[in-house]
Amino acid sequence: MFERRLYVHMDWLLLGAVYLLCAIGVVMIYSASGGSRLYLTQLAAIALGTVALLVCLGLDYRSLADRSHLIYGAIVLLLVYVLFFGVVRGGGRRWIALPLFNLQPSEFMKIGLALVLARLFGDSRHRTPDARDLAVGGALTALPLLLIARQPDLGTAATLVPVLLAMAFVAGMRLKVAGILLALAVVAAPVVWSVGLQDYQKGRVLTFVNPSRDPLGAGYQQLQARITVGSGGLLGKGFMKGTQGQQGFLPVAHNDFIFSVLAEEHGFVGVLSVLGLYAFVVLRTIETARLARDRLGTLLVIGALASFTFQVLYNVSMSAGLAPVKGLTLPLMSYGGSSVIATLAGIGLILNVRMRRFTN
Amino acid sequence: MAAPLVADRRKTAARLTALSVAVVVVFCALAVAFWYFQVIESATYARLAENNHLRRLSLRAPRGVLFDRSGQLLVENREAFTISILREHSANLDETIRLLATVTGVTQEDIRETIRRHRGEPSYRPIVVIDDATLAQVSAVLARRLDRELPGVVVESVPTRRYPAVGLGAHVLGYVGEIGETQMAAEGLRSGSVVGQSGFEKAYNKILMGQDGERRVMVNSVGREITTLDEVPASEGRRVRLTIDRDLQQAAEDAYHALGYEGAAVILDPRNGEVLALVSLPAYDPNDFASGIDRATWNQLNTDRLRPLQNRAIQGRYSPGSTFKAVVAVAALEEGVITPDFKVTCRGGATFFGRFFKCHLKGGHGTVDLRHAIEKSCNTYFYTVGNMVGVDRLHKWAAALGLAGRTGVDLPNESESIVPSTAWKKARTGEKWYAGETISVSIGQGQVSVTPIALATLYAAVGNGGIHFPPRLLKAVNDGSGWREIEPPAPRGVRLKPETIAAVHDGFWMVVNGAGTGGRARVAGHDVAGKTGTAQVISLQGGRAAAGRTEMDLRDHGWFAFFAPRDNPEIAGVVFAEHGEHGSSAAPIARHVIETYFAKKAGAAAYPVFTPPPGMGVSAAAPPAPSGGVADR
Repeated sequence: MFERRLYVHMDWLLLGAVYLLCAIGVVMIYSASGGSRLYLTQLAAIALGTVALLVCLGLDYRSLADRSHLIYGAIVLLLVYVLFFGVVRGGGRRWIALPLFNLQPSEFMKIGLALVLARLFGDSRHRTPDARDLAVGGALTALPLLLIARQPDLGTAATLVPVLLAMAFVAGMRLKVAGILLALAVVAAPVVWSVGLQDYQKGRVLTFVNPSRDPLGAGYQQLQARITVGSGGLLGKGFMKGTQGQQGFLPVAHNDFIFSVLAEEHGFVGVLSVLGLYAFVVLRTIETARLARDRLGTLLVIGALASFTFQVLYNVSMSAGLAPVKGLTLPLMSYGGSSVIATLAGIGLILNVRMRRFTN
Repeated sequence: MAAPLVADRRKTAARLTALSVAVVVVFCALAVAFWYFQVIESATYARLAENNHLRRLSLRAPRGVLFDRSGQLLVENREAFTISILREHSANLDETIRLLATVTGVTQEDIRETIRRHRGEPSYRPIVVIDDATLAQVSAVLARRLDRELPGVVVESVPTRRYPAVGLGAHVLGYVGEIGETQMAAEGLRSGSVVGQSGFEKAYNKILMGQDGERRVMVNSVGREITTLDEVPASEGRRVRLTIDRDLQQAAEDAYHALGYEGAAVILDPRNGEVLALVSLPAYDPNDFASGIDRATWNQLNTDRLRPLQNRAIQGRYSPGSTFKAVVAVAALEEGVITPDFKVTCRGGATFFGRFFKCHLKGGHGTVDLRHAIEKSCNTYFYTVGNMVGVDRLHKWAAALGLAGRTGVDLPNESESIVPSTAWKKARTGEKWYAGETISVSIGQGQVSVTPIALATLYAAVGNGGIHFPPRLLKAVNDGSGWREIEPPAPRGVRLKPETIAAVHDGFWMVVNGAGTGGRARVAGHDVAGKTGTAQVISLQGGRAAAGRTEMDLRDHGWFAFFAPRDNPEIAGVVFAEHGEHGSSAAPIARHVIETYFAKKAGAAAYPVFTPPPGMGVSAAAPPAPSGGVADR
């Protein structure tokens, strides 16, 4: 399984950047949680994630794609299970209780979807996905999306959309079709607004548009996030010296707002460094997609990358008060076992494709 | 098969490039946004973050402690607890108010009203909703988890005024209160500052106030203090000694209480103008104001018909009655209108300008010279002499001896004393002065209207031979490096001719020690000289006197003005007994003060106990002790 050839073609740079981000995440979690033991849990999650990464790395992505329908189906079943028997926490039924930690199946759905869509678009007999392909892809996306949205976890559900869009785009979907889909989305938005969104979700959007609508409620977090970031200045307040993150002005600082804590304590310099690392990971991965030996590989890499990139951009925007507050983690850095494990598994797939670019 | 594959590859590559470009653009946009927040606008957000977690707590400076002239404590400070609400840390203000009201027993409306009053202030400044909280209230609040159940509720300990002897010298000391809107602007003080609002507390507010300190603390998102960053301690106001002699003040008030009179008394040291005692009754309890007066007490004080908040000694104006004869005598002698031997025959009155003016003795005093006219308080004599002197020269000598206008005592809101003149009447009414009016003025009636402190100044001046000093209450200030005596003010007045002094002093001595009306002020071994007087209530208040007044309200006021001893007096003053009917009812109060003064001077172990003359008084006075009588609140 681990031939020397594969070892040679391993993308050490990408792997290094990924683990550097994990390490920075652990340090920021330590700071944001006031030196509590949460960082140990995160280290354990990274260890488990490394195992997942190795598994995803070890199996040839083609054989994984061959079984993608099984993987996809299994995760969908887990999502259904969660809806009925999941652990309720923070207003959502999202977790399956496991001995060590709670498993969040929705995080793994991103990989499952990427696999199944890669197979769909990659195997397509037409080079350009036709209407049938898009319809099937749409259905494959919609099923888990609705299941996750029912939990309710709109943030994670939304991350599935870029997976479909990015993969269809790279697969060669005609731009006219893309335009039509966009128009449909605009038309559908008011309907989603009135029937699809719960009041607290509407509130978040309204408050984003006008933060002073509710300065002590939903707008509070957005305002405090902006203050946290802005007060960091060029060089930051120093490790564990951030007043906003340390004194609880920022909610779930170690989780959703880990980037705000980084911005406060390490300033614009820290922000640029970490943004640079993420940009490197993304661009390097696109490079991997270009180098892939087959269409399946390219699409799989893009699929794994899409939700990752979407979450990074959204979370970083949110951490500066530029996007409505939503429970979306920052991949690799935020506290959260399932997120770390699923992300590392995705990275494993990306490395897998690059590593096997010369094999047959 | 190869061509489409290549084309397909090229298409995929182009789209991947497009994705890369999009990613780079979005990452750059985010970097620019962070650069804007963290570099360009960083100062703004740093300030907002500071407002978030830094709280400036004002440390109220204790006001300067007040002592009497010999170092007996008059006013001190105690620690009181206040309960405040910090709106910025109270996410759900309504809930906080509701719970706070429940645990402290204060109504929600009261708390809301207080917050409404301060709504214009920045939300990081605590609003005091309960002043001087009881220990039960404090412990009830502290028993709650302040960060969860009562976020933004702060309990602080603040130094608060304490007046140990309840009501003693209330009008001298005055009271403190929260600064008003207009004062804030005028004195450049902060909202919530406690300042003197009346009396000595107001007059010397600047030196008594001290410098508030400040403590900067770091708080978390629910307002709980994490650490103290730095602290500028409050510096206490200056310690001050008043000229007041606590024992004399006590003696005077005891005598009033024993006789059941309201009124006013001013006791001076004629040698330098120091106020030894200043009484105004009924009084109030300054402690009621110390931590914010409640509305009921305030309304009651303001609507009380007896006007307890008025300082009668410097604000009440009354006709001086026969005590004014001192001015007539001095003016006549100094102007050379008469000599002490000038005689008038009194047949129970005399006719001037076609109108008969009565003397108080129906049968008349017979033929009297100046000394005996003073002794017997013969109106006919003073009608005659006053008429000869004329109102303008009476005014001139009243002013020279400190009776007209304000004395300049260092207390706020002193009223002007009025001794009329032709110019005064012209300016006031536009009418000319009728010589007939001078006759009433000569016995201290008519348009004459003076404050007790001005009359006390007059008698200090007369006892002193014409020289007098503006009365003052500030004796010494301790700025931390020891007591510094205040320079006495420049003397005023004119030195009277020896024969004037001799004659007038003889007359006043005879009032007390001869066959006069002031016998009740006699103190064996100390030549008390003085003069009684009666202020007519009916003539003063004219037609409106009768309606709604009890018989008591219509009784005349009694004056007794004095200095002692006759030669080189050390003590002078005025006792005004409201509705005391005659000066002889005020005299026993003066006697008790004078007795106490000389007993203290002689180093007596115990001071005399006030004993009302036969037929006077409502109850026996409590036995005074040299330094006792401090009632614990």
